[in-house]
Amino acid sequence: MSNSGSISFVLDGELKKLSFNSETGIKPTTTVLNYLRSLDNHKGVKEGCAEGDCGACTVVIASPGSDGGLVYNAVDSCLVFLPAIHGKQVITVENLKHREKGISHLHPVQEKMVTNNGSQCGYCTPGIVMSLFALYKNHHQPSREIILDALTGNLCRCTGYQPIVNAAEQACQFQGKDHFTPSEHQVYNQLQALGKKQTDIILEGKGQQYFLPAALESALSIRELYPDAVITCGATDVALRQTKKMEHLPLILDVSAIRELKVYHETDKDITFGAGLSLEAIKSLSKGSLQALFNMLVVFGSLQIRNMATLGGNIASASPIGDTLPLLFVYGAVVNLAASGGRERSVPVEQFIKGYRQTDLKPGEIITSVTIPKPPSKIHIESYKVSRRKDLDISTVSAAFALQLDDENRVKQVSIVYGGMAARTQRAAAVEAFLQRKPWQYDVVKQAMEQVEQEFTPLSDARSDKEARKIAASNLLLKFYQQTCPR
Amino acid sequence: MSELYHDSAIKHVTGESVYVNDLDGGRRELAGHVVYSPHGHARILSMDISGARALDGVKAVITASDIPGVNQMGPVVHDELCLAEDIVDFAGQAVVLIAAESKDIAREAARLVKVEYETLPPVLTIEDAMEKDLLLGTPREIKRGDVDKGLDDAPYRISGTLQTGAQEHWYLETQSCLCIPGEDQEMNVYSSTQHPTETQAIVAEVLGVARNEVVVETRRMGGGFGGKETQANHVAAWAALLAFHTSSPVKIHLFRDDDQIMTGKRHPFKAFYEAGFDEQGRIMAYKVHLHSNAGAATDLSMAILERAVFHADNAYFIPHISVCGKAWKTNLPSNTAFRGFGGPQGMAVIENLIDRIARQLKMDSAEVRYRNFYREQENNTTHYGQLVDNNRLFVLYDKLIQSSDYTKRRHQVNVFNQKNSYVKRGLALTPVKFGISFTTSFLNQAGALVNIYQDGTVLVNHGGTEMGQGLHTKILEVACSELGLPATKIKVNATNTSKVPNTSPTAASSGSDLNGMAVKNAIHKLKKRLTPVAVKMLTEQYPDFEIREENIAFREGYVFDKNFPSRGVSFNVLIPKAYQQQVSLSATGFYKTPGIYFDKSKGKGKPFYYFAFGMAVAEVEVDLLTGHYKNTRTDILHDAGRSLNRNVDMGQVEGGFIQGVGWCTTEVIKWNDKGNILNYSPDNYKIPSVQDIPDDFRVSLLEGVPNPNTIKQSKAVGEPPFMLALSVWLAVKDAISAMGNHAIEPDFALPASNELILKSARKITEKLSVYEK
Ligand SMILES: Cc1cc2nc3c(=O)[nH]c(=O)nc-3n(C[C@H](O)[C@H](O)[C@H](O)COP(=O)(O)OP(=O)(O)OC[C@H]3O[C@@H](n4cnc5c(N)ncnc54)[C@H](O)[C@@H]3O)c2cc1C
Ligand code: FES
Ligand code: FES
Repeated sequence: MSNSGSISFVLDGELKKLSFNSETGIKPTTTVLNYLRSLDNHKGVKEGCAEGDCGACTVVIASPGSDGGLVYNAVDSCLVFLPAIHGKQVITVENLKHREKGISHLHPVQEKMVTNNGSQCGYCTPGIVMSLFALYKNHHQPSREIILDALTGNLCRCTGYQPIVNAAEQACQFQGKDHFTPSEHQVYNQLQALGKKQTDIILEGKGQQYFLPAALESALSIRELYPDAVITCGATDVALRQTKKMEHLPLILDVSAIRELKVYHETDKDITFGAGLSLEAIKSLSKGSLQALFNMLVVFGSLQIRNMATLGGNIASASPIGDTLPLLFVYGAVVNLAASGGRERSVPVEQFIKGYRQTDLKPGEIITSVTIPKPPSKIHIESYKVSRRKDLDISTVSAAFALQLDDENRVKQVSIVYGGMAARTQRAAAVEAFLQRKPWQYDVVKQAMEQVEQEFTPLSDARSDKEARKIAASNLLLKFYQQTCPR
Repeated sequence: MSELYHDSAIKHVTGESVYVNDLDGGRRELAGHVVYSPHGHARILSMDISGARALDGVKAVITASDIPGVNQMGPVVHDELCLAEDIVDFAGQAVVLIAAESKDIAREAARLVKVEYETLPPVLTIEDAMEKDLLLGTPREIKRGDVDKGLDDAPYRISGTLQTGAQEHWYLETQSCLCIPGEDQEMNVYSSTQHPTETQAIVAEVLGVARNEVVVETRRMGGGFGGKETQANHVAAWAALLAFHTSSPVKIHLFRDDDQIMTGKRHPFKAFYEAGFDEQGRIMAYKVHLHSNAGAATDLSMAILERAVFHADNAYFIPHISVCGKAWKTNLPSNTAFRGFGGPQGMAVIENLIDRIARQLKMDSAEVRYRNFYREQENNTTHYGQLVDNNRLFVLYDKLIQSSDYTKRRHQVNVFNQKNSYVKRGLALTPVKFGISFTTSFLNQAGALVNIYQDGTVLVNHGGTEMGQGLHTKILEVACSELGLPATKIKVNATNTSKVPNTSPTAASSGSDLNGMAVKNAIHKLKKRLTPVAVKMLTEQYPDFEIREENIAFREGYVFDKNFPSRGVSFNVLIPKAYQQQVSLSATGFYKTPGIYFDKSKGKGKPFYYFAFGMAVAEVEVDLLTGHYKNTRTDILHDAGRSLNRNVDMGQVEGGFIQGVGWCTTEVIKWNDKGNILNYSPDNYKIPSVQDIPDDFRVSLLEGVPNPNTIKQSKAVGEPPFMLALSVWLAVKDAISAMGNHAIEPDFALPASNELILKSARKITEKLSVYEK
């Protein structure tokens, strides 16, 4: 293991090396937002919430892709710790304009924002421009659906969004070509060279030690050596402990640079997703084969969040409103864990979740991947999310259902799992038992709905009161029935 | 002239626009931090700040007793402490201020501040406050006719209550201020405020200095919406106190959660109403009591209540009407101005009433609205006696019913609803008639200062502030056309109390009406001075032509006699000449709105200079099992007079509408029984996202309707479109109601949140199953 004490990344077209030591006095978990704003020439990036909900802090991170080009991802810089940009290019709103022959030119996304009146107070605008920039790089003539998805993570209180949508439509007409294009290859090589070094990085500063291992093997030995280190991957959950709860995190084990955690493996029977794959990657990979998972990921956070957040993180959070959990329960998914010395084990997700934010993760272990069996076609699987705002909101109630009917339309097998109804993701066991062998018809479902309301005693909180939660939960069963009832 | 884009548009998209938090206060700049009460109502037993003071990097820790001036920051009524003394009246009330070398150190110091409280029972709801008789100010009452007799005479009667919710401004830029102490007692205040003059006054008061020592400058705000009309003063006062005590620049930029916890919201209202109507759906009598939850201090509550009372009629003539408004004091942060300023709360009640009347009479609600509109020749005065002139309701209605294909779509919605049990569509049309002017009449004044420099460039200063609404762009447009210069020659300056003093807040949608006129006035003075110089130059140049002063025009960078347009003198040449001739090239301008007055004791007068009108048709699709709704189509037709700038006005209409949709649907605020707000971050406070805009959004401005006697015949457009969102609210109700085939009145309130839809639909299902049995 080598200890470089520094990270390197490309900013403003130059390779930057940032050292963490007593002299520089930088805390490793400094967010990219705060780092940029501490520089004289990067005040364009704004903080609107420090929790990933507004997108005012959006920047674009480019990393080397598999096809020899750069991959551009919009992220909320308020949730990204500095080490996460090691080996990557950070592009900010200040970089979009360029000068040619003494004349400065706006980037197409900037120009269309101006001519469509896409800004009023302008505070959300740098973030919006960066989301549009990522859209521009990734999509040629995108559909409305893609445009809206790209902008869901950017709140604007002034414009009513319509002019921004128009700007997006008009700007993305040039196959992603712009003034970055000519230097892409060079940046790619620069970043590739950094990536090739494959060293484990240890950063220290301001009472914090930050491990950024490049290989699973070293991550596992760090995990064993420092059992108290907080594991982080996408950091969309962990970062909030610092940015919102103002916690000091003395020890961090960041597993986001580990290649072994980014695997994707498909067999006839199942699909295995690396614990470190972004949810956005999983979203594309699950389309068709695990359609219910895809549908759920469509309303999971925002694109900026999904670009960072991982499946391993969602499971390990063990939140009662973790959106993948009900589905993973009904799919019968399995978590694969590793510990140093080649120890490995696999546990069904349902058993791995122990209670409110409690899992069966043993000291020394890291989640490496998740295996999801492919459901046979005769099983209907659906998941639903009820939230106050349909998009970029945390579930009030979520549910996943799996159903197999026999030839007489009776319930052969049913799985009903709820999020948001108890302290953990919870199977509606009594309702399942009630439905077993019963005809799958309206009056039976009506009775089952009443049982749902009896089986759970949800909480009243900021998102919903308990009555509405009960109604939502039982309604979702009816909704599932509507979608599956034999016609 | 072609229309300008927002004057900061390019700076916005390149990230070059500077906001308070981007300002560099210099090497010695300190971070200010506010320690606030965690309790809704409590007595302070003891306070220990010694630990915080001792922390390395902490430069000041101050409490109420360290205030050199007056411990007050109430804008209208002095009933709001700058820092708590022995009682805290709401959770989020400032108690201790800290200045430190960094935000992190300030936060750490805050943890070392020890305040011991004895909690007291808080009063949180209007009902609680009524029970305890905590009335604020004097009730506002306006009457016409004999409402009780009207109710008795009417063939039909309806009564009910309606609750409307609080709304957080959620400006993207939280409250912020940088204070830099100068010589002697000077304080330079860079504030994100809608009301620099009042910020100046409050800062002077807490510091105990004269107002001429305090300069407030506002370049731009990252959104205001009313939330920075009075409450920006707070952060400014705190930053100023810390700057005073440390003799260093101090910046406070509130953390989002702190902003949401500490600042006031749109007032929640509860209305009790009773109405009598005939078989045509015409309202004969309407009696309504509007109660607002004012929070812990007066702030602008009385003016907001007043506007609610003025707008209880919305667009409808009601022969017998009685409107009574009361504001109640509670242990919440003082609720404050928010786009619409009470108007939405007053209008929601009558719009819901009409919806109920239509359901009861089994009529189309748009038709019922039409029948109740103010007429043009008769039935055309409001309950406070103002004539509704230049009434645009009928032209809006006719055009919108046509362009939105209302009748056909009503039919399609019904067909869809017959076929679908759990997904229902709803359709609703709602109008807006909104009075333009401050109802506090003396505020309707504005000042300007226009400087021309020797190179022929112009600097315009005025009293209005830029919060994104495009005021500076409109002012620029006015200045360009008055001076006949391109926008590249004119700059609109940051608002500064030392340039233009004694200004009114930028509020009540009146920013361009008032300041545009003041700028025009200043430019007229300058043109008057420049004209003789031009005449002399032209006469010298073209001795054969008879050049006359009254014919002089300023256009396209030239000054010429209208009769000889090709023989002009360039503005650039004229200006140095004028300077050499010792002509003053700087002028102030002033404007006050003529002819408006209101007699509070009689409840009669002409409080508004004119009315702005608008209308919307919204269609939604509601999934009654999940409570999710989709805005499928909205058509808006809005009256902006002769638009000063279409780019800006369209943005105001669309943006205002979507903000209103938030208030009507997803924006829910709850408090626990101790007075702590539960929805204090965007994690669970949900403003509309891009996915919440209509799939099909058709917005137009009404053409060919110049507004007499206003700046370039335009109309104010900041607030009125907000209330068009009531169409979405009632479309959601229409969809819920379709579940019971419109025979059952749904339980309803505002916002029509996911929770409300779920419960209301469930209730209808239960009632239906009772009928089935
Ligand atoms: C704005 C916003 C919106 C969100 N929306 C949603 C939503 O719609 N639905 C939803 O369910 N969640 C949502 N979340 C929560 C969060 O994004 C998800 O839980 C996400 O999946 C976490 O993944 P991560 O990689 O970012 O986790 P991290 O923050 O890195 O880690 C989360 C937890 O998992 C542990 N962990 C991470 N990786 C591993 C590993 N390989 N092995 C062992 N332990 C590990 C960490 O120690 C930590 O306890 C949202 C969060 C934000 C900020
Ligand atoms: S600051 Fe709001 S998402 Fe980062
Ligand atoms: S322009 Fe003001 S928040 Fe978007």
